[in-house]
Amino acid sequence: MTDDPESEDLFAAEYALGLLSGDELARALSLARSDPDFRKEAGRWTSRLAPLLDEVAEAEPPQALWQRIAAQIDSEEAPSPTQIVSLRRRMNIWRAYGAAATALAASLAWLLVTRPPPPAPVPPTPAPMVASLSADGSPARLVATWNPDSRALLIAAAVAPAAAPGHAHQLWMIPVGGQPRPMGMMPKEGPMRAVLPAGIAGQLREGVTLAISIEPEGGSPTGLPTGPVIAAGKLIRT
Amino acid sequence: METCLSSPPAVSAFLDRFGSRMTSRMDSPPTKLRLVHERGELDTLLRDVAAGEQGALRELYSRTSAKLYGICLRLLGSANEAEEVLQETYLIVWRKASLFDPSRASPITWLAVLARNKALDRLRLRRLATEPIEAAAGIADESPAADILFEASQDRERLATCLDELDERNRTLIRAAFLDGASYPELAECEQVPLGTMKSWIRRSLLRLRGCLER
Repeated sequence: MTDDPESEDLFAAEYALGLLSGDELARALSLARSDPDFRKEAGRWTSRLAPLLDEVAEAEPPQALWQRIAAQIDSEEAPSPTQIVSLRRRMNIWRAYGAAATALAASLAWLLVTRPPPPAPVPPTPAPMVASLSADGSPARLVATWNPDSRALLIAAAVAPAAAPGHAHQLWMIPVGGQPRPMGMMPKEGPMRAVLPAGIAGQLREGVTLAISIEPEGGSPTGLPTGPVIAAGKLIRT
Repeated sequence: METCLSSPPAVSAFLDRFGSRMTSRMDSPPTKLRLVHERGELDTLLRDVAAGEQGALRELYSRTSAKLYGICLRLLGSANEAEEVLQETYLIVWRKASLFDPSRASPITWLAVLARNKALDRLRLRRLATEPIEAAAGIADESPAADILFEASQDRERLATCLDELDERNRTLIRAAFLDGASYPELAECEQVPLGTMKSWIRRSLLRLRGCLER
């Protein structure tokens, strides 16, 4: 037995096959966002093994599923002014505001060039939303994902806010043109997960800003942010 | 994977989970004539879907959803999630049918890969959801739908020939990864070998496979 053969060379293959987990998976996802060659190699492996899918047994989906699909299409049918935005909708938006957007746009462009799509209606989607939270002068970087269907909010830190002794981090929702509303305290460690009450959930729409400020333990005494905002970002559709 | 991991890790559990479905060879393809005929019809349907005809999507769905649902169900092991992914898949088809390139893949392969990739994305999210913050922050919601196939999909018989050059165990492992979404740690646990050994086995198999396919 010798050392692992060309492990880096096969990283895209391992990613495409679904073998990776943990840090390796996180690294591969990051490469998939940023490196067109990595995506291409992963696509090549998927293509190689695609005939295996022939052998998967068929299974009848529930009858009602088509109705759900049709209903969703109908509800999206009305043309909207966000058609250009919606072109990006299915792309990875987690970091789409950064350089990754360029790489993704390029990867999409690759196929657009080979086969320009007709100007078919491109409806908006009720997909989950994300917000990338950061602020000038603050190292904290967080990503919020909001699933309106399940009313589940997840906020995970790429770079966790620095702990401030005697203070806590409070989450705020700022509606477009509105006042900040307190959304609860961030846990000292680990991601924040919450299922929101319907009343608040209904207001978490595209364009709403999520912000995190430094507040006294237990939260702002005034109901409005009193300390500096260390990270903020607007919800956008994925 | 629950079946395998929730019970004491054992080869027999692994076989329960994967064996019965994976030891069978690829189903023989339909006769060529029928294949060409169906392919042509699905081609046309995808073109009509790209032109915004919802009736064409309905027809495409009725012809292909059982196949795609089977793929999602096998990867995800949960009917609920499989339904969600299937719904998501056909919505992508509705919006992105124009990206289908008949010179690169047959319509059914394109659809099957799209469904498989969506299901795998879901599986990755699930995997990372139990990870510490740093990994969770790296979650990609999904890979761009446009990246589905970068090159013509592999000829089915050629793949079968090359898989046959691997021994039974390694063939099974490749299938378990690609079709069941089994991860390295899961496979290592099921086979009761160290993680490094499992990685070695699979990487060697992948290299052999690639060598054979490129011959």
